[in-house]
Amino acid sequence: MTDFNYHEIDDVIHSRIRTAIMAVLISVDEAEFTFIREKINATDGNLSVHLKKLEEHNYISVKKEFIERKPVTRYKITEIGRKAFEDYIKKLESIIKR
Amino acid sequence: MNELNTNITTKAEKEISVIKQIMEDSRKAVVENGWHYIYWGSIVTAAIIVNYLMVIYSISMYAQGMLWFFSMPAAAIVEGIIERKREKREKVKTFAGKLINSLWTGAGVCMFILGFAGTVSGAYSANMIFPLISIVLGSAYLISGVIQQVKWLSAISVFWWGGAVVLLLMPGMHSMLIFAGMLVCFQILPGVFLYVKSKRELATQPA
Repeated sequence: MTDFNYHEIDDVIHSRIRTAIMAVLISVDEAEFTFIREKINATDGNLSVHLKKLEEHNYISVKKEFIERKPVTRYKITEIGRKAFEDYIKKLESIIKR
Repeated sequence: MNELNTNITTKAEKEISVIKQIMEDSRKAVVENGWHYIYWGSIVTAAIIVNYLMVIYSISMYAQGMLWFFSMPAAAIVEGIIERKREKREKVKTFAGKLINSLWTGAGVCMFILGFAGTVSGAYSANMIFPLISIVLGSAYLISGVIQQVKWLSAISVFWWGGAVVLLLMPGMHSMLIFAGMLVCFQILPGVFLYVKSKRELATQPA
């Protein structure tokens, strides 16, 4: 039996809120800020910080536009993000199977 | 060490279960509110009735062809404009929504080609258009129901295919009216059910 190695866990994803954001975005094509907020029950400020972190690591991409004069921000998971999330899930599964 | 390992495993299991729940919940975002079914069902039914009256009043085949040639692309353009506006207001775009759009665009193009190949090329009689279109619609309904996870929508395909067999075995002018009846029962009514269902789901969601 190999013991758990925390270095193998992606710490960009390994935060409750960022994992939840990634789980939402991997399930849809793209989502608005408000949709993510509703799905994970986060506050605007908290969500923004975590989205920024994911964006800085190129795990998600952002598109900002104006619809009927209102600013709308849409998020989409990138290929890097998809791969990282899949690896993260595999890692969790391997922990369970040990 | 064993206790630590058990702790980590429990946490990992919880994490996976939460992730699965979020993913499932996000995928459930409404992909179809039924308006496409009502829109196309009503337009095509109206066009069929006009076409039927044209046959009764012996208006030329050319004019009948033109009715479809202009009304269907015009309806598609109007739908495109409405859909573009609707998409902009949507909070989420799902893969299921993309699949549904592609499926029905493909099915629409197939039906348009089948409709015009019959009348223009003379490859088959104009009476064959409706059973052929019914076969395409049956397949589209089967796949739509699977994508939307609405079993009764998939089951409607049986009625479309059954109707196609009836129309193939009993071709004639009345096939227009049978097809119009099929549109009302297997397209407009399901569209209304989906519309009511999506309205109910929206009402239960937080603002």
